[in-house]
Amino acid sequence: MAISSSFKSSPFLHCGPNAETDSLAILHLKRDLLIPTVLRSHDELNEGYSEGKVSNTRFGSFPHSTLIGVPWGSQVRASIVDTGSRGRKGWEGKGKKRKRDKESQAQDDVAGVEKKQKVEVESKAAVKAATGFVHLLPPTPEIWTASLPHRTQVVYTPDYSYILHRLRVTPGTVLIEAGAGSGSFTHAAARAVYNGHQNTNTEDSTQDSIMKRWGKVWSFEFHEQRAQKLQEEIEEHGLNGIVELTYRDVCQDGFTPNDTPASELKANAIFLDLPAPWLALKNLTRASPSSPLSPTTAIHLCTFSPCIEQVQRTITTLRTQGWTEIEMVEIAAHRIEVRRERVGLAEEGLRGVNDSPASVDEAIERLREVEGRSRIFRNEGNEGEEQATAPGPAQVSKQQRLENIRHALEGRKLYKEGRLIHRAEPEIKTHTSYLVFAILPRGWSEEDEELAQGKWPAKAEVKEENGGPISKRQKKKGAKTRAGGNKELEIEASMKA
Amino acid sequence: MKQELVQPHAYVALRLPSDSTIVVQVLPNTVSTISIGKYGAFQANNILGRPYHLTFEIRDSVTSDGKAQSGLRIVPAAELYADIKDEAPETPTEAEAGNLGASGDGVEYEIVGQNGEVVMRTNRRITDDPSSQIMTMDEIEALKAQSTGSGKELIAKILESHSALDQKTAFALAKYTLRKTKKYLRRFTVVPLDVATLARWILTDKEPMKIMELREEILSMIGSWSNVHCTPSVSTPSLDGEGMQTKGGRWLVVDETAGLLVAYMAEKMAILHPPDHNGEEAEGKVLSKQETDAVNGDDSIGNPATKHVVAPPPDHLRPRKTSGPGTTNTITLIHANAQPNLSLLKYFHFDAFNPSISHPLESHLKTLSWLQLLSPEDDMGCAEPEIVSEETIQSWKSGKRSNHFRKRRRWERINFVVDETRAGEFDGLIVASIMNPVSILRHTVPLLRGAAQVVVYSPTIEPLVELSDYYSTGRRTAFVTNPPDFNSMPTEDFPLNPTLLLAPTIQTARSRSWQVLPGRTHPLMTGRGGSEGYVFTATRVLPAEGKIEARGTFKRRKVDDGVTRNSSRQENAASGDSGSMEIDAS
Repeated sequence: MAISSSFKSSPFLHCGPNAETDSLAILHLKRDLLIPTVLRSHDELNEGYSEGKVSNTRFGSFPHSTLIGVPWGSQVRASIVDTGSRGRKGWEGKGKKRKRDKESQAQDDVAGVEKKQKVEVESKAAVKAATGFVHLLPPTPEIWTASLPHRTQVVYTPDYSYILHRLRVTPGTVLIEAGAGSGSFTHAAARAVYNGHQNTNTEDSTQDSIMKRWGKVWSFEFHEQRAQKLQEEIEEHGLNGIVELTYRDVCQDGFTPNDTPASELKANAIFLDLPAPWLALKNLTRASPSSPLSPTTAIHLCTFSPCIEQVQRTITTLRTQGWTEIEMVEIAAHRIEVRRERVGLAEEGLRGVNDSPASVDEAIERLREVEGRSRIFRNEGNEGEEQATAPGPAQVSKQQRLENIRHALEGRKLYKEGRLIHRAEPEIKTHTSYLVFAILPRGWSEEDEELAQGKWPAKAEVKEENGGPISKRQKKKGAKTRAGGNKELEIEASMKA
Repeated sequence: MKQELVQPHAYVALRLPSDSTIVVQVLPNTVSTISIGKYGAFQANNILGRPYHLTFEIRDSVTSDGKAQSGLRIVPAAELYADIKDEAPETPTEAEAGNLGASGDGVEYEIVGQNGEVVMRTNRRITDDPSSQIMTMDEIEALKAQSTGSGKELIAKILESHSALDQKTAFALAKYTLRKTKKYLRRFTVVPLDVATLARWILTDKEPMKIMELREEILSMIGSWSNVHCTPSVSTPSLDGEGMQTKGGRWLVVDETAGLLVAYMAEKMAILHPPDHNGEEAEGKVLSKQETDAVNGDDSIGNPATKHVVAPPPDHLRPRKTSGPGTTNTITLIHANAQPNLSLLKYFHFDAFNPSISHPLESHLKTLSWLQLLSPEDDMGCAEPEIVSEETIQSWKSGKRSNHFRKRRRWERINFVVDETRAGEFDGLIVASIMNPVSILRHTVPLLRGAAQVVVYSPTIEPLVELSDYYSTGRRTAFVTNPPDFNSMPTEDFPLNPTLLLAPTIQTARSRSWQVLPGRTHPLMTGRGGSEGYVFTATRVLPAEGKIEARGTFKRRKVDDGVTRNSSRQENAASGDSGSMEIDAS
């Protein structure tokens, strides 16, 4: 295979203890704000920072020299980076940037890193800033899915988890993916099929590499630019050798990768994320000489379509082409937020609370108070002197009350007050796509059946175990002869017996 | 390696027309048949050596000596869908309704076709009448006893004798046919018993409580979020020519689903199935025959008649150097009882008490109890057996000798596992336990390396809500601003160190199955209820030393609201979310 000599294991599959140069890393700013960046010891874009390559985020600037060599998962402080004086050609005014909404700003943060500028600068060590930090994480398919640049509809984690599960993708599976799109499924699939690299095991080839089935993802994408971009990502992420991407329309041209005849793929799992998956099915039959399917295994298939009409056409086609166990499901997933809800009059004037009465008692107390006040007010009109003699608690002004509440706040442990509640995230995905699953059993001819019948003849009368009680020893002996020298079966059989 | 053909002694799942599943072990060359209830019985040899996913039909045949014997016929895929006319338009008309029951191989269900009016029939004129089926139960039973075929003729007869069949709408007729088919069609499909099938079978047909009602959707999500994957011990040649061993691939698990979770992880790590003898999928370690023999003799504790008489020299106590506890691609299981419950692993031919040396789990699965982990000095298994001089050993009888070596080996293994586990640096933690997750995470999170994934499954949400609360932004902020004395941890306010986990999230997923038939596509009417099942995920992080303060854009506040601002700022400081106020300031 065409794996370059400078082979480097993927940070998705083997992340060492520390962040290394040239590895993809994720800067975790907050839950839904993750910035992928490739760690560089030098400023490959020559942006003119004296600290070398720098990732600028809204929580501070992070020279890569402060990230490389740090254990994964570390909280890293921001550094004081002079972002201003290195000249800003092609860079929009700073004031403008501030006003833009936060999400696009995150994109800009990355873009800022990539602006090119030819400036000669002296290198200097990074200086810690007083505030700001990020967490440095190695990439995983889940994080990548949350942070990847969208090119098409993304196959999200709950969907791809279930799909890989139903496709029975395990290490050593050869998976065909058509419609690679943004590459989220590609990354998850690569992790699932991975069971080593073909050429790194040459050292201990003695026992290991005899016909081992290497897990592989054969990926197809019919959009040229998307294919190009994904190819770059695959290389950058160290997944070449595991993922093989081809720019091709599989419906028209079949599942033939660039350098390999389709008949050599021997795939046993297929994922189709195509607009018209039924058109690709004609290239997925066993009969064709250029069939990419493994002749000796059952084939698991999944198609991913948003519309019910697509599903119906796909299933109709599947039924005519020998696929069995056809099933259609959809996955609904959502996140759940946990928070503390504080309700009550004691919260009056505070933020993020509900300051209406927390109970009937509180309501009555409040009503009494109001009642008392209005009585005083009414009395004021009639017999003004009496009020002065009877000052009630209701006399504390609202302003005073709010002030008191605010002062009390200092000593309160808000994180354990109120009621612990949970609820669904504000916006849930009610529909992603319909998943159609099907299985194509291994081809089984009349001759195969005859052979099997010869090997396992139907038993009309076998006396073996009918001869009354037999000793343990005899049983073991019997098991031995039956297992025919196969040690493992023998143990099993004797255990059964 | 996953097998493609049914192997002797394998456990297989049989999917019946009624959609239920049964699991049987296929014992070769036995007379006794495998019974699938009312559908009949068949011989194991009839499915042995055949591929999985085939559908068989039971038909009774008569052997040469006049004995009745059941045989199987493989049903071609085309025949499976013979009843479904995919060309039918979206709304079936009277004319097509007549065809719906027609089966592919010449058996007609004798349904009266109307003269082709394009009107959709409704059920307004049908009265509920149990007597519309003329055949009695006894008659059907008698027919069943006579029939030798697949059951198709029987179903045709039943349909024929339904007096109001012509009044049925296309939908009702299809449903009626399907119901009778499910009841009388003598077919079954052989499915490999992999982890997914096993999980589904236990959930729907066996005892869901045993696996904590763990649904497939959730199981697959656990797999993704825990990042569990195969880490083959690759020696990557480094520049200075020295082979560098890849470390890692160690997962910590607390599994109270009888081993389902362990099996699932093992499948993803390629250590669930023994390597094939023809070398395919040989996962790293193929033992030489000699070694296998040597150890088998020693290890079979339940088998006193061990033939391994010659004691190994004391300086070489472990003859199986290669298959000692593995250091990469391993699962470490912490169990609450004296012995782990891994009963479901028997379906993958692994016996935790007497592991076969050829099974990859033997060296890649390590177990220890909570006592061994947290207080090894109190555990008997961790106490070193006395070291005896070689002469003394030689003077012993063979039984005593092998007993001695077995004890020492067991102690060595336990000690190794305990030390290694206490040293930590695990790549991930998966928990599915009925114990309080707070108590589990308190002891296990510190054992994880930075960036390790933490996944906690719970059938109900309450334990996870409590757990999330202990990692809330507010609590973390309070912890960082005013850190408690680390020796007094856990405190009442901080049962867990809230700075050790990043982005705690609870999520759930549910699949909804659909019926897709021409003109009759809709979600299934019923599904499994019970526990919903939730997953808590988070990432282990290494907090920076010393005070750390967040920076970021804050929400605009009222200028005069000085106190509020201060308090919010305080809440905001050093939160794991890098100081964002948007999510959880309230």
